Amino acid sequence: MEIEIISFGKISEFIKPQKLEISGITHTDDLKVYLESSFPKLSGMKYKLALNKQIVQQNCEIANHDTVAIMPPFSGG
Amino acid sequence: MESERYNRQIILSGFGKEAQLRLLAAKVLVIGAGGLGCPALQYLAAAGVGHIGIADDDHISLSNLHRQILFSTADVGQLKTAVAANRLREMNPGIDIVTYPISVTKNNVLDLLENYDLILDGTDNFESRYLINDACALLSKPLVFAAVSGYEGQLAILNVADDQGLRTNYRDLFPVQPGAGEIPNCAENGVLGVLPGIIGTMAAAETIKLITGIGKPLINELLHYNLLTQAQYKMSISPAQDYTLPKTKTDFLKMEYQDSCGLSTGYTEINADQLQALQQERSVLLIDVRERHEVPILNKEIFTQVPMSEFDNFLLADIDAENIVLICQHGIRSVAAAEALQEKYGDSKNLYSLKGGIIKWRDYFSTT
Repeated sequence: MEIEIISFGKISEFIKPQKLEISGITHTDDLKVYLESSFPKLSGMKYKLALNKQIVQQNCEIANHDTVAIMPPFSGG
Repeated sequence: MESERYNRQIILSGFGKEAQLRLLAAKVLVIGAGGLGCPALQYLAAAGVGHIGIADDDHISLSNLHRQILFSTADVGQLKTAVAANRLREMNPGIDIVTYPISVTKNNVLDLLENYDLILDGTDNFESRYLINDACALLSKPLVFAAVSGYEGQLAILNVADDQGLRTNYRDLFPVQPGAGEIPNCAENGVLGVLPGIIGTMAAAETIKLITGIGKPLINELLHYNLLTQAQYKMSISPAQDYTLPKTKTDFLKMEYQDSCGLSTGYTEINADQLQALQQERSVLLIDVRERHEVPILNKEIFTQVPMSEFDNFLLADIDAENIVLICQHGIRSVAAAEALQEKYGDSKNLYSLKGGIIKWRDYFSTT
């Protein structure tokens, strides 16, 4: 299945916004593992996912054509 | 109330005298009179928010002026709070402005927030942001959160119940405070002055909406803004279950808010709640550095045992784990171990030491 990835802040420097073909990944927890192994920089950072504009608080099922946003915390002022 | 001053907003459909009186009665504390605080303060004062507090211990420097537009070149070296208050009083003498030229700490923040109905966080570091978030949650104070990074900004209204009675706070987004050097700040990363101008102005707009009841404020929503593309992306926030907030003043005073961008130690001291959150959030290597005879004995499947007496040998091999938590009886040897790892790996790994050790968090370890 294909999902759309949107990334923010520093994360967008190494995970470009893209359509991502994923197979065998059905839930957000699996997607995190996949992203952290594909983009090792991510595993050393605090980040949050949003699935279809809902901040992900537990393992959520992903459907074809869903949008996943990946964001780091910002502190600047 | 000077009706003429506020005429153009009073005549707005849906605003009127009633909304203006609400602004006049409101007490708003702006923490951080910097890139976000300056424009927010300007619009709040101009709009007639009746009581405004400004907290910042910093002095104006030349490199502030491209974005901190309340200040002029002649003000360099002056206290931000004093100059900001003077400018705002000139702009609108009809409102009451109080300055707090202090650094907000866990020892003064609760007293500071007590006098205000609404808090606008325009600070520039995670230590302050987590401190302010937890204090607002403890005191049930609405918090307008605004932050920038690079060309992007984040904006949210936290700690205000939505239609269903749900309220969220910053830890529902990021439960654990980032470690030293993990996320660059404006001083390291750079910022175009107009970006905090936009986000700070949006924060003022959200504050005014909350006070007057107009429109649909960003309650339980996170707005992401990109200056380069003008793209906005709004996400809804729901409460998370993977952290605990301090529930009493005593608990709050025990919290650790490490300076994550100033005095860098290369490792972060964490408490048991943060440890639990870390474990749930990502893969971590947990190392028990006590000697083999020490009790209580921890589950060896979860906690890798590397006694300090063997630590030098352990350092010879390379460790793959990105996130390493060091644990000992009282949280002292674990600091030494974290320092040794820091010396070897620099900032390439996230190192944590459990402050107070197993003895302090024995309830946590008895259930693990």
